[in-house]
Amino acid sequence: MDIINNLVKNLGDGIAAGIYGALGQGIAADILIMVIAAIAVFAVASGGFAGLTYAERKIVARIQDRVGPNQAGPYGILQPIADAVKLFTKEDTTPAEADFWVYHLAPIIVAVFATLTFTVVPFAPGVVGTNLNIGAFYIIAIGSASTIAILMAGWGSNNKYSLLGAFRTVAQLVGYEVPMLLNMLPVIMLTGSMSLVDIIERQAGWNGSWGLPFIVILPLSGLAFLISGIAETGRSPFDLLEAESEIVAGFHVEYSGMKFGLIMMGEYMNALGVAVMFSVLFLGGYAGPILPPYLWLVLKAFGVFLVLMWLRGTLPRVRIDQLLNMNWKFFVPLSVVNLILVMILGKVFVSDPALFKANGGILIQPLAQALIMGASSFALLMIALAIVTRRVRKDRMAEAAILLQRRETNQQIAASVH
Amino acid sequence: MTVAQIVFILLTIVGLGAAFLVVTTRNLFHAALYLIASFFAVSGFYVLLEAGFFAAAQFLVYIGAISILFIFATMLTRTVRGMVPRNSQWQAALFIAVVLFIAMVAMFSPISFSLPIRPDRTFGGVEWQFAEIPGKPGVLRSVPDSSILDFGRALADLNQYGIALLLSGVLLLIGMIGAIWVARERKPREILAERARMAAEEAAEAARQSVGAKIPDVVVAHDSHH
Repeated sequence: MDIINNLVKNLGDGIAAGIYGALGQGIAADILIMVIAAIAVFAVASGGFAGLTYAERKIVARIQDRVGPNQAGPYGILQPIADAVKLFTKEDTTPAEADFWVYHLAPIIVAVFATLTFTVVPFAPGVVGTNLNIGAFYIIAIGSASTIAILMAGWGSNNKYSLLGAFRTVAQLVGYEVPMLLNMLPVIMLTGSMSLVDIIERQAGWNGSWGLPFIVILPLSGLAFLISGIAETGRSPFDLLEAESEIVAGFHVEYSGMKFGLIMMGEYMNALGVAVMFSVLFLGGYAGPILPPYLWLVLKAFGVFLVLMWLRGTLPRVRIDQLLNMNWKFFVPLSVVNLILVMILGKVFVSDPALFKANGGILIQPLAQALIMGASSFALLMIALAIVTRRVRKDRMAEAAILLQRRETNQQIAASVH
Repeated sequence: MTVAQIVFILLTIVGLGAAFLVVTTRNLFHAALYLIASFFAVSGFYVLLEAGFFAAAQFLVYIGAISILFIFATMLTRTVRGMVPRNSQWQAALFIAVVLFIAMVAMFSPISFSLPIRPDRTFGGVEWQFAEIPGKPGVLRSVPDSSILDFGRALADLNQYGIALLLSGVLLLIGMIGAIWVARERKPREILAERARMAAEEAAEAARQSVGAKIPDVVVAHDSHH
C-alpha cells in the first residue's frame, strides 16, 4: 500500500538520486533536476488542459442535448490532438496596424502565468514544486498578472472589440480579486500559515485521527471563493470578456493559430487552477481515505471542474452592471462581515490548549469548534441570501412598474396619433 | 561569482533598462509596460533578499493594481503615440531627481556590493526551505518565515507602526468615500444643472481665447490691487 501511496514521490526521488549519481552533487545536477521538475509540472497542467477541453465539450454537449465531438477516434477521444494539429497548421495572421511586440507577447504571458500557479500546488505528500510559506498569497499575486496580459492582447490587436473586451476585464478581474482574497483569509487564519501544505495538513488533522475539510467549517467562504474564482477566470456565466454575441470574441478576436491556442490554454489552466485551489483550500487537497493521495486531488479537482462545466452548460451570461453590483454591494461586504465573525469566534472558542493558555477564551473540543463556526457561517449565508432576495425582488418590481407605465404612455400616444 | 550574483546583475540590468525606457519612449502604452518590467525586477530583488511576502505584495500591488490603473488611464487618452516625453518642467524634475539620488547615495555609503545572502542558503542547496513534520515521514512543512511574523507584530504594535497603519486606513477610507461620492447616481435635475454650468464655462473659455491674451492680464492686474 505504501508503494502505491508514495508512487509519485518515489519516482521523483529515484530520478533525482540517479541524476546526482551521474553528475555528482553540484549546481549542474540541481539545475537539471529543477528543469525536469518544471517540465513535469507543465506536463501535468497541459495534460489537464487537453483532457479537460475534451471532457468539457462532451459534458456540456450532453447537458445541452447534443452529441459533441464524435469523429476523431472512438467517442471523439482524439479530438484534442486533432485540435492541436489544426491550430499548428493554421495561418498565423497579424493585423496590419497591430502593436507588434505587445500583440505577440500577450498570449505567451497568459500561458506562462497560468502555469506558474501549479508550481506551489501539493499533488501528494512530498510532491510539490516548491512549498512556499506564502503559497496562497503567491497564487493571488500571480493571478493578477493575467489581467495585464489580457489588456496587452486587447490593446495590441488594435481592434475596437478587443479593446472593449479589455475594458471589461479591468472592471471584472480587478473587482473579483478582492472577495477571492477576503474569502481565502479565514482559511489562512484558522491554519495559521499561508503554505498550501500546511493548509491541507490542518484539514487532515482537524480532529486528531480524522480530518474535516474547511467547506464544512466555512461554508460561506467556500461558496463565495468558488463564485469569485469563476468570475476571476472569466468563464461562463461571467464570460463578459469574450461575450461572442456582443463583442465578437472580445480580447482575442484577432488571434489565430497557436497564439489563439496559447490563450485558450491559459484560460483552461486558470480554470483548472481555481478548481485545484478550491480542492486544496476547502476540500482537503490530497487528504482522503483508501485511495492514494494524488488520485484524491485529481478526483476533487475534477469534481469542482464538473460544477464549472455544469454552470457553463446551463446559465445565461450576466450583465456587466449586475456583475459589478453583485461584487461590490454583496460579495465584498459579506466577506468582510464573515471575516470579522470568524475572527471573533476564533478568539472566543479555542480548541488549542497552548493558545488557550496564552490568550484565554473558552476551551472546547475541535469538533465543537468546527460545528459552532460552520453553523454561524451557514446562518450568515442564509441571512444574507434572504436580504438580497427581498431587495432584488423589490428592484425587479420597480423596474416592471416603470416598463408598464412606459408601455401605457406609448399606447396613449399611439391612440392619440390615430 | 555565485548564481545569486548573476541573477542580481540580470535583474539590475532589466530594472534600470526598463526604468530608462519608461522616461524615453514616446508611446505611453509602451511606457506603462516598461514600468511593469521595472516593477517585476524590483519584485525579483525581494526574492533574492528572501523576503517572499514582500515580493508577492510588490507583484500584487504594483503590477496587479497600480500598473493596471496606469494602462487604463492610458487607454482612455486620445494621443498615445508620438508624444514628446518632455514638458516645460523638465529642468525642475531633473534637479529634484539629482538631489534625491545624491541623498540616497549619501544614506547608503560606503557603497557595499556584497549581497545579504547567507552562504549556507545558496542556489545549490535544495533542502533549505523544508523540514519534515514529526510522525509523518516524507511530508515536508515549510519553515515559518519569521519576517512575516515580525512584520505583522510591528504593524499591530502601537509603539512601532500601529499609528501609521491606522492613519493609512483612514486615508483609504476617505479615498473610498470620495470615489463613491464622485461616481454616485445623480438625479436628472443635477445632471442638467451640471451640463449648463459646464457649457457656460466652455463658452467663457472660448470667448477669452478669441479676444486674445490682453484681457486676462487686465483681470490679473485688477485682482492684484485688492
